[in-house]
Amino acid sequence: MKYELWKTGSSVLATFGLYSVLYRENKFYRFFEHIFLGLAAGWTLVVIWVEIEKDQWWGKMLGANNDAGTSMVQSGYWLYAFLVPIGVMGYFVFSKKHNWISKIPIGIVLGLYAGQQFQAWLQRYGPQISTSLKPILPTTFTSITVPDNPVPGEVYFTQALTNAISLFTLLSVVAYFLFSFNENNKLLNRLSTSGRWLLMIGFGAIFGTTVTMRFTLLIDRMHFVWIDFVRDMLLRR
Amino acid sequence: MLNLFLDIDPPTIFNAHNNFQTLTTYIIGALLAGFGILFALLKAPPQTRRGIVFFVTFISGFFYVLLFIWPSPINRSKGDAPINGFDNVGFWLADAQPVVSTMTQIIGGFLIGLGIFSLMRIHLKRIVKGGGDAPFSFTLVLSMILMIIFGFWDFHQRQQPGAGPLLDNQANWGFVNYAKDYLFDGMLQEMEAAMFSIIAFYILSAAYRAFRVRSIEATILLTTALIVILSLMSVVEYQWGEMVNSVAGGNKNSFVQNFTLTNVAGWIRASVQQPSIRGIDFGVGIGLLAMSLRIWLSLERAGE
Amino acid sequence: MSIGEKLQSLPKWILFLCLIVTASVLQFFNIPLPNKPQDPAIDYYAFAMSIPPGSTVLVSSDWTNSTHGESGPQFDALMRILMRRNIKFAVYTTADGQAPQVAKDEIRRLNEQRVKDGERPYRPFEDYVMVGYFPSAEGENLAMSINLRSAFAGKKDFPEGAKEPVDIWQSPVLKDIKDISDVKALFLISASNTDQIIIERLAAKVPLVYAVTGISAPQNFNYYSSGQLKGLVGGLKGIYDLEYLMTSGVNHPGADGKIAVASTRVPGDVPPLPGRNQGLGTAYFPTLHAALALMILAIIIGNVGMFMARKAQGASK
Repeated sequence: MKYELWKTGSSVLATFGLYSVLYRENKFYRFFEHIFLGLAAGWTLVVIWVEIEKDQWWGKMLGANNDAGTSMVQSGYWLYAFLVPIGVMGYFVFSKKHNWISKIPIGIVLGLYAGQQFQAWLQRYGPQISTSLKPILPTTFTSITVPDNPVPGEVYFTQALTNAISLFTLLSVVAYFLFSFNENNKLLNRLSTSGRWLLMIGFGAIFGTTVTMRFTLLIDRMHFVWIDFVRDMLLRR
Repeated sequence: MLNLFLDIDPPTIFNAHNNFQTLTTYIIGALLAGFGILFALLKAPPQTRRGIVFFVTFISGFFYVLLFIWPSPINRSKGDAPINGFDNVGFWLADAQPVVSTMTQIIGGFLIGLGIFSLMRIHLKRIVKGGGDAPFSFTLVLSMILMIIFGFWDFHQRQQPGAGPLLDNQANWGFVNYAKDYLFDGMLQEMEAAMFSIIAFYILSAAYRAFRVRSIEATILLTTALIVILSLMSVVEYQWGEMVNSVAGGNKNSFVQNFTLTNVAGWIRASVQQPSIRGIDFGVGIGLLAMSLRIWLSLERAGE
Repeated sequence: MSIGEKLQSLPKWILFLCLIVTASVLQFFNIPLPNKPQDPAIDYYAFAMSIPPGSTVLVSSDWTNSTHGESGPQFDALMRILMRRNIKFAVYTTADGQAPQVAKDEIRRLNEQRVKDGERPYRPFEDYVMVGYFPSAEGENLAMSINLRSAFAGKKDFPEGAKEPVDIWQSPVLKDIKDISDVKALFLISASNTDQIIIERLAAKVPLVYAVTGISAPQNFNYYSSGQLKGLVGGLKGIYDLEYLMTSGVNHPGADGKIAVASTRVPGDVPPLPGRNQGLGTAYFPTLHAALALMILAIIIGNVGMFMARKAQGASK
């Protein structure tokens, strides 16, 4: 309990230290800001070894890992040693003369990323495109709106209207993105203008949810300060 | 060659050396050869440099392009062998991908260290120079060193025979474990939460000062944001529903029931908001695809 | 200075103080709120409850304390469902090096709570494994889709009482898993862009069920409506819905015979989860109402001020 009190107490102090920037930038804030950056950088270094290089590189190179699912010890793959010079090349970014060498490992990583994007694009957007293409003409007029027990497969008037609005919104927004430069085609210009307005609806939704997220994070901090620390630790001791 | 990394039987020149001495010799040889190539690159004439970077980037990207377009083995089970050369490439690509992924993780790990190295460099320089910022830089370096010491020490203790599961229980902790927990959970994590929560204040202030009904676009943005915010407040949603229900006289099939907040927000979300966000997503996706193509073919000149 | 101008230029410290007070005061009270859970959360809960006990799922835990307000209760709720239903899970992350330790600490706290509540602790290695962190999210998730065993090769965890760390593939959680299709689902708790990376690489191979922060909820709603996600919990409203569903079930008659949450999307009765279900989502939701009301009020004051100032300017001309 003593440790928890000390730990939570200093966390609360650090929280207020960081919040002091709301008044203006000050030494108290900068002190905690630098502690934060130092701890984050230190932990990253720990993680690089513990979570990545130890098992994925060192273990595989020296044969210290078990083979997947067996208790058999793998042979060492000495070729993994070649990755050290490749990693070192990245550090040439600090050299004025040989700066270009750092582009080799960065090029490898970026190249591997770029190569994946073609397949990734199709997997991500393929279903999105097919979902967007819904019938925009009604197939029945027995009811204007969708009844309580709709006939499967039938498209009712209001359904078709909603689908048409959806498709128009999508096409307008995409047109705004693709033809936002000065285009002489009047139709495209109007589509692009309506796209800008409809885009605002999307941004409005994103803004609304962003606000709720940021407020939730603040509420969480206040819960930590008032409930976890003040009420549960200080007042109930 | 890459799938040779996966084979342990029969042994090959790439993996046969469980014998420590032979393995060490090969590793030292590989390191020497690798650094030899690095040394040769240092001497590369300026006109060849762009070509070297292009070649490396293209080959890296081409692996995944090939993996995507080349037919891959279907329902492959252990022991299946390729039936022809075409099949052979498919098998090779499927086997090599995890190895390529591992190598990306390893190189990625080395490159993450680059950021730390840069941070260290800047702050050590500041400490040496002195001045008003030096105490803060000293604080940063000290925090970093403490985290590295206790992070590794705690990890090392957990790797000791029998210690791992025991140390999951706080009752078995020693000074090192407490120190690591204090630095990671007590300071780093809580400060991270505090840092990210500060934005709430600025959002409120910015919304108050800048969210004005001045143009059509701003009005649409504001109205949608308000509808979304209200629809996330279940009390408002519920009360609005009750009000609509009383107007409809409790008739669940009344046309008026379409105007509950749930239905209005739901309709706007499904018919306008979602397609609009999908449009944004498509736009970003097309841009990303074009950018990827430029990176792969080394047409992106940023930073040169 | 006219009233309109005054209304437009409230000092920032007043706004900040109002926000701190609003975000704090209601936390001391337990205020039950009426709720109508949204479809994505209903599907999330129904899907999680449909997974057979004893089977294995993957949990991509891509969050740290920076989004604890949303991701923390999302993670807790998921863990409660999986643990109470005896579903085994493997936790990995491709987003942040801090994430594995955060997940470990959270599981430790939940286990302590389970012991206090008289439930059995969830055992590392036997019931769950920590796979760890992979910095290349794109490469790792693609590798998982092609060969899960190779993608997780070399990772170790501690069985209870073991002296040495053991390969995770020997654990009861993973030993029967041959490839990704043997896994019943992939649950993601994300505060980064791994939601998109996973959809791009794994959507065709394994059912995906997401819990994301409010900021990425609108985009993920599209993936949910196109069927790429089996369920979605977005932001605090999503987690409040989930905790509500864990208490009430879906199409499930309560003690009074009334059904609290009825849905035609879910066939049959999905029962509530016995035990402690209400967490931080339920605790924070009333306060969120107050904070959002403050926000709306601030926007209204600013706009009223603008119109009053314009009117005053027009009159003076």
